[in-house]
Amino acid sequence: MTDPEENEPVSRLNAAGEVGLVTPRDYVCSRPFTFKSGQVLPGFTLRYETYGELNTTRDNAILICHALSGDHHCAGVHSAEDRKPGWWDNLIGPGKAVDTNRFFVVCANVLGGCVGSSGPSSNNPETGRPYGISFPFVTILDMVRAQKLLLDHLGVTMLHGVIGGSMGGMQALLFAIEFPGFVRRVLAMATTSRESAQAIAFNEVGRQAIMQDPDWKQGEYSKGGGPRVGLAIARMMAHITYVSDASMDRKFGRRRKTSANGETYTFDVQFEVESYLRHQGQSFINRFDANSYLYITRALDQFDLAHAYGSLETAFAPVQAETLVVGFTSDWLFPPEQNRQIALALLRAGKRASYAELSTDLGHDSFLLESEELYALIRGFLERSQSNAVDFSI
Amino acid sequence: MTALVEKRTVDMQIIGEWVAPGSRVLDLGCGRGALLDYLVQSKEVAALGVDMDFARITACVARGLSVYQGDMTTFMRQFPDRHFDRVICSRTVQELGDPTGVILEALRVGRSVTVGFVNHGFWKNRVDALVRGRKVRNEVYTTEWYQSRPANPLTIADFEHFCAATGITVTRRAHLLGDWRTPCRALPNLFAGYALYDLAK
Repeated sequence: MTDPEENEPVSRLNAAGEVGLVTPRDYVCSRPFTFKSGQVLPGFTLRYETYGELNTTRDNAILICHALSGDHHCAGVHSAEDRKPGWWDNLIGPGKAVDTNRFFVVCANVLGGCVGSSGPSSNNPETGRPYGISFPFVTILDMVRAQKLLLDHLGVTMLHGVIGGSMGGMQALLFAIEFPGFVRRVLAMATTSRESAQAIAFNEVGRQAIMQDPDWKQGEYSKGGGPRVGLAIARMMAHITYVSDASMDRKFGRRRKTSANGETYTFDVQFEVESYLRHQGQSFINRFDANSYLYITRALDQFDLAHAYGSLETAFAPVQAETLVVGFTSDWLFPPEQNRQIALALLRAGKRASYAELSTDLGHDSFLLESEELYALIRGFLERSQSNAVDFSI
Repeated sequence: MTALVEKRTVDMQIIGEWVAPGSRVLDLGCGRGALLDYLVQSKEVAALGVDMDFARITACVARGLSVYQGDMTTFMRQFPDRHFDRVICSRTVQELGDPTGVILEALRVGRSVTVGFVNHGFWKNRVDALVRGRKVRNEVYTTEWYQSRPANPLTIADFEHFCAATGITVTRRAHLLGDWRTPCRALPNLFAGYALYDLAK
């Protein structure tokens, strides 16, 4: 997903309706963790944040699952000087659509990530050096299982909801499949039950940009080094897939950089869109690990519920949660049709599921949109009373 | 407005009488989910609605209903034969682009199909057209033609003819007078303001 806009200094500290200051914490699991691949880590760490309070019955928790380039910091600020709140701050907070006065919100950096959780940039205790590509292969299922261990550690007995967009939506669906008695509501947005050839193709171009960069060194680069050019190019390209023709045209059009001095016959930056993408690439390499990018895009590509369980309907057979799937008209990475198919398969499997489609022109990242319509839908879904458990099955 | 709300309630009560408790009901053009909500409360049905509008879907979601935003025919094609016990098409049929296609598809996915519609052949509508020479306007048809959605008004005679011509079995009828309450005993195409049909293949 794209970075939140860099706004003017944040007035979000202690402001009414804001999460305010938050401190990330680490959950260290010291028991061995067996990945889907069969590879084993002696233990792992997940960095996470929580907002709101867990109630006495320990069942008001909402898990937020982040997308490819996201992290655990989805709301509030880390310091008074913080210019940028968490990536889903518009949605999460006291009185907001995901109301932290009612819900205990948890968000963790995924396994395989690079923002505090165990991943390829973590040190391998056996060698004293980063794992690099000797880190076990990560799947969406591994991410979900690790987060379940975190929730157990936090004493959560039942999730009121799991929410995620894009890769976060995949995790949310898988959570309801793998831990059916543990999840009441699933909200999956701008997601898919299996990546299309086009989505895999984009990921592969990103991976090739990284792996063809000589500084990648088979993944064995030192901390602070690595394939900076390749990772930046991967990010620039991926960024295009998160937006849309219309939104880029509105934001940049064919406007030129003033520094271009009217010089037409040059390969220096001429258009604002070029400068913007270069900036996106550069800021990304300062916060993201290239090997994590390889691991997580691979996890995305391999996600295929129909293949893993025989069919989508079989995959959803154990689900007990109520599901709401939201598609966005201009999303061409995980288009409305792929979101619709999730809801339809759930309904065919006899589950309580809904599908809503919001008209936007912002592309895949529309799920991060500041939209009262979207907030109303999400709030209505999270705060409605649980409908009677009528047997829908065939 | 109150009269209209009352009429809607009458409509819901008759459909409610036809719906078996605990059955699986699909409402095509479910709006804000008032009918489905009523059927869930009174008959504990497994309710599912389809509508095109995001705001109406939002209202249904907040009510706790399962609902799908999209085209009803495309939606029904995704389901096996007789997946639903009953498909309801209440006050929607006059706005469909392909009414035959929708009703036949509903008869495939549903064991029975309930169609409710305002009888355009009701005598007041005829008088309106004859005397005023204008598009019918009353508490049911509230808007001028240029403020209205495209509509394809039908009469009871039209619908009976449709069922006969397509070989659809009518298993139940309810014809109501202009108050949408009192049963209409004679000449329904002239004296009934509202009609409800239960169909089977």
